Amino acid sequence: MKTSAVFSAALSLLSLVSPSSAKSTTPAASPSTPPQVWKNANLVHIISVEKNYVKENINVLVENISKQPQDEYFLPLTADEASRIGGIEVKDRKNAQAGPFGVEVVELDPKSNTQYVRIKLPAALKAGAQQTLGISYYLLKAYKPLPASIKQDEQQFLSHSFSAYCPSAYTTSKQKTEVKLPSANIPDYTKLPGSGDVKEFPVKQGTKLTYGPFDEKPAGAFEPAQVRFEFNKPVSHVTELERDIEVSHWGGNVAFEERYTLIHRGANLSDQFNRVKWAQSVYYAPNTHALREMKFPLRVGSADPYYTDVIGNVSTSRFRSNKREALLEIKPRYPLFGGWKYPFTIGWNSDAKNFLRQTVNGGYILNVPFLEGPRQPEGIEYEQVQVRVTLPEGAENVKYSTAVPSSSITSDDIEVQKTFLDTIGRTVLVIKARNLVDELRERELIVSYDYPLSASLRKPFIVFGSAMTLFVSTWVLGNLNLKFTSK
Amino acid sequence: MSADTLQVLASAGKGESTRTILRFIILSLIAGAAIASRLFSVIRKCPLSAGSQLLSWQSRPSRRGQLSGLLRLSAFWAALLTAASFQVSRALFTNVGSPSLSQSCARAERQSRMVADNPLVDPWFNFRATKYLVANGFYKFWDWFDDRTWHPLGRVTGGTLYPGLMVTSGAIYHALRALTIPVDIRNICVLLAPAFSGLTAFAAYLLTNEMTPSPSAGLLAAIFMGIAPGYISRSVAGSYDNEAIAIFLLVFTFFLWIRALKQGSMLWGVLCALFYGYMVASWGGYAFITCLLPLHAFVLICMGRYSTRLYVAYTTWYALGTLASMQIPFVGFLPVKTSEHMPALGIFGFLQLLAFLDYVRSAIPSRQFQTFLWLFAGGTFGLGLAALVVATSAGFIAPWSGRFYSLWDTGYAKIHIPIIASVSEHQPTAWPAFFFDLNMLIWLFPAGVYLCFQNLADEHVFIVVYALFGSYFAGVMVRLMLTLTPVVCVAAAISASSLLDTYLNVKSPNAEEHPADDNTDGKKSGKTGLKSTSKPVVGIYGWLSKGTVAGAMTVYLLLFVMHCTWVTSNAYSSPSVVLASRMPDGSQHIIDDYREAYQWLRQNTKEDAKIMSWWDYGYQIGGMADRPTLVDNNTWNNTHIATVGKAMSSREEVSYPIMRQHEVDYVLVVFGGLLGYSGDDINKFLWMVRIAEGIWPDEVKEREFFTPRGEYRVDGEATETMKNSLMYKMSYYNYNSLFPPGQAQDRVRQSRLPEVGPSLSTIEEAFTSENWIIRIYKVKDLDNFGRDHASAAAFDRGLKKKKAAKKRGPRQLRVD
Repeated sequence: MKTSAVFSAALSLLSLVSPSSAKSTTPAASPSTPPQVWKNANLVHIISVEKNYVKENINVLVENISKQPQDEYFLPLTADEASRIGGIEVKDRKNAQAGPFGVEVVELDPKSNTQYVRIKLPAALKAGAQQTLGISYYLLKAYKPLPASIKQDEQQFLSHSFSAYCPSAYTTSKQKTEVKLPSANIPDYTKLPGSGDVKEFPVKQGTKLTYGPFDEKPAGAFEPAQVRFEFNKPVSHVTELERDIEVSHWGGNVAFEERYTLIHRGANLSDQFNRVKWAQSVYYAPNTHALREMKFPLRVGSADPYYTDVIGNVSTSRFRSNKREALLEIKPRYPLFGGWKYPFTIGWNSDAKNFLRQTVNGGYILNVPFLEGPRQPEGIEYEQVQVRVTLPEGAENVKYSTAVPSSSITSDDIEVQKTFLDTIGRTVLVIKARNLVDELRERELIVSYDYPLSASLRKPFIVFGSAMTLFVSTWVLGNLNLKFTSK
Repeated sequence: MSADTLQVLASAGKGESTRTILRFIILSLIAGAAIASRLFSVIRKCPLSAGSQLLSWQSRPSRRGQLSGLLRLSAFWAALLTAASFQVSRALFTNVGSPSLSQSCARAERQSRMVADNPLVDPWFNFRATKYLVANGFYKFWDWFDDRTWHPLGRVTGGTLYPGLMVTSGAIYHALRALTIPVDIRNICVLLAPAFSGLTAFAAYLLTNEMTPSPSAGLLAAIFMGIAPGYISRSVAGSYDNEAIAIFLLVFTFFLWIRALKQGSMLWGVLCALFYGYMVASWGGYAFITCLLPLHAFVLICMGRYSTRLYVAYTTWYALGTLASMQIPFVGFLPVKTSEHMPALGIFGFLQLLAFLDYVRSAIPSRQFQTFLWLFAGGTFGLGLAALVVATSAGFIAPWSGRFYSLWDTGYAKIHIPIIASVSEHQPTAWPAFFFDLNMLIWLFPAGVYLCFQNLADEHVFIVVYALFGSYFAGVMVRLMLTLTPVVCVAAAISASSLLDTYLNVKSPNAEEHPADDNTDGKKSGKTGLKSTSKPVVGIYGWLSKGTVAGAMTVYLLLFVMHCTWVTSNAYSSPSVVLASRMPDGSQHIIDDYREAYQWLRQNTKEDAKIMSWWDYGYQIGGMADRPTLVDNNTWNNTHIATVGKAMSSREEVSYPIMRQHEVDYVLVVFGGLLGYSGDDINKFLWMVRIAEGIWPDEVKEREFFTPRGEYRVDGEATETMKNSLMYKMSYYNYNSLFPPGQAQDRVRQSRLPEVGPSLSTIEEAFTSENWIIRIYKVKDLDNFGRDHASAAAFDRGLKKKKAAKKRGPRQLRVD
């Protein structure tokens, strides 16, 4: 942590120097840093640590200070952050219809620790014009438990490090950083000298800490700050989620299966697990940092759920299904404490008509949620997500689109998988994404494909044909006379 | 039975081919029913808790998964009713024994079963081995050295198991994969036993058809085989054990033997040898065949029934079968070295002599010479026997193994090999178990054997011999009930079908007004001709007697079906890993402590953390927790087991070095005191003590665990040795804190525990499952300050009162 702070401080020095030289030259001259063509006229940085991932919102009024129209805005990140960032979305705060913003994490200088999010504006901004950008993203694995190991019945505290000045590649005239916390119990936080009528930053209001407003800061300005707060909830982290969606036209069914590799990233137990205390705490102090239960609100109409792990069926689950909800409540086999792992599998079925629709020109459109994890008050984060959509055998011309931010999608592929007496194999769309959080659940994944009638009749014909071949050949063989003697 | 059904069946039975087809359909229905009845636990529960079997099964309903439930059950009942109506259309006969008596006996037996139940754990090993086979291929499997069991010794697993089961499921797996059916190896393993039970029903049909010309007997035998609880107990879904396929192989081998013997056919003899080889590859119980076939041959010879058919069948089977059996590494040269296999060899030699003499006799027809030759043959046999005895005592041939001795003397194991006696299925059978497992068949069985005496052909001698042999062994060992069940089914089917044939003859002469030579009226002929095919069929024609007997038999059959259903769903479908109980509101509550703890071990300990536990749990830990164990259910090294027993039954100071030497990281005990779960380690503790005492009689003494009055107690009256033993401490550690002071209660042993619970210094509690059934302790590392653990623990406890936060004193430089 310390080294990176020093490093970025050095970097900010560098960038302090470079603008003076870069300003006069052409913007493309030094590709390692973004050209200084913008100024942040006003910036509000909201860091929300209420859930077990960090949600950051940067609302910034940008002004084009160059001579030419500009359409690329850069947001700096450390290399470490770049690997943990996900779900980056940019909006125009004033004008909701202002087209899509292209967002991409780029590496301008491979040797540098600083990487950038490149935001492509829908329309280039004229010289001197202003636009209000709302940039939001999530940071995973952001906290450290402090103390790192606690007793079973103690409160859990997490600490989060950030910069009091919003990281920016441009000069910022005015800015403010707000930290939203899950509770008012904040034993430690960095105090900074105040400005104006405020003696000391931050200003604490209930569960909110406010640093700033600060006056003009140069590009890359960095002020390390840390906050340590009570978070007596599980810090659930899914290192890998594999989600299989299997579409069956013959069965009129869409089958879902999800395999989670779950780990609790909170404070470890300093003593060994004590069952007596745990049994008591269930009644006397139900607030605990151990993960006790997860609730999966499935789509209405889901049926036949199952919940297993590597040993077999797990009996601690309930499924409530009625016209309004389909809620799957599962408990891990044991309460999950910091550092403990629990991989498991859940799955369910649903009628195809809930998700599948035929278009006028004969194609099919599948509309499923990209992610359907548990809905927990403390949130849940996913490091790697792999969604496999198995389409029927012979499906072709597969296209997809999703409402999950495109910067989080790392790859997509079309594969072929042979199961259940397939001859040419089923078309499988594999989408890999990373750094997602549960707030993105229910974002749609729309897959369109063509499925000709001949493909759907292939299997019945092949099964019928091979059975017939078998019978006929048996009959022929049975009629052969292989005996040496015959009467 | 309505008349319509009878008409239809009667008319359907006219043409030979329609009859065959009908029979085939019924047979496949029975086989299907047999399979379905083994899926009880899978069917009954809702999808979420489905398949909490021994190996838990999870069906992945990728299509509409609701095919199960009613459909399978209705198939089962439909099959039974079809078969029953078919049968009842043929006739009946009654006998003593009221079903209600046997039912109450069954209930009593079940209670006693609950007390001494050993978890069935072999499936976990077999499953693990199968996974290894599927993952690594056959040759790797053959050479498999397993370093995750018997730490630090390891086990030459590939050479010390019967590979038949794993290879079978591996072959099925690859066959299905080749057809691109994406089936999980787990599902194959779970469903293998039910699938093979269908085949067993088929084999029972074939075997019975060899015995009697009555076509209904085979079908009845198939039904009985399909639902007899004695066999269901070992073939429910998830009981992935050697017996799962071995019983099919046993019955089928017998069928092939009878075929070979009846026809004197070398082809059938070869098939018999092949299946015998398969059987050897599958189950240690192959010795049953190895002894039974020679015995049958011997009895036939003694009855003067030597024939070239016998000679051909036996020699073909013996020569090829022995060669086949020697291909299994675990068996190797045993067939020529051990005493169990000597009868087969002896009879083989004897048959050669007989064949020679037979030839000589046919060449030289002289009465005196013949007598002389017979004496010569007897002398040779006697000499051979004497040579065998001498060779055995001189050590050329291995003497009978201990497990075998315990078959003759039920008290033998208790004295000499406690490890065998400690397994509940090696105990002598309690008499209600026969009613529990066989119900109605137990009184049909002697009648069937009696009928075999009626026309004593070679194959009937086999049934008689098998019945005697099987009954004896089933009485000696609970487990061998399994080998008795097939012959009971066959014999009972013979008697039941002969009843039905006699009493339900549709072709009554008054319908046809056939005068002919009926010189007797129906009621008399019942005694003389139970079954007579050569004579003109005489039957019972009075509708009243027909109706009474048919009605009674229907009731018995239905009661039998209900009994089997009840037994299967209550006693045999609940896996020992998962305990099911009822909540006060009647809803089902599942106690899943074993898997909770095993999963915890698997996820939250080091990959190579060594777990010490009593051997009963070794396979489970290896399979579910995937951690190395010290001892497991393959009890090949008695000393190693005794070491664990010693560690469990000694004081901490003695146990700790043992655990350190074996690199033990965690110790696992099973404790049922909170829940009233009687199969826990404290109840097994005396076996640990006994086994340890067998190796270290000076250090572990069983007597010291009993109070001066000879009681085995765990409360305040318990002996010091008991209270200080590691097992006692681990079981009751911290247990007091669950109760108000002085109220701690052990619900298994119904005793109040001392007010101050035991304290532990060398190990610490790491995990306890929800209902305290599994308790896991972590073995502490050596103390940082070089103190011994007892004083370190005392120091910690002393400090805790003053300063709870600080655990250790200030660091100091040590100066030696």
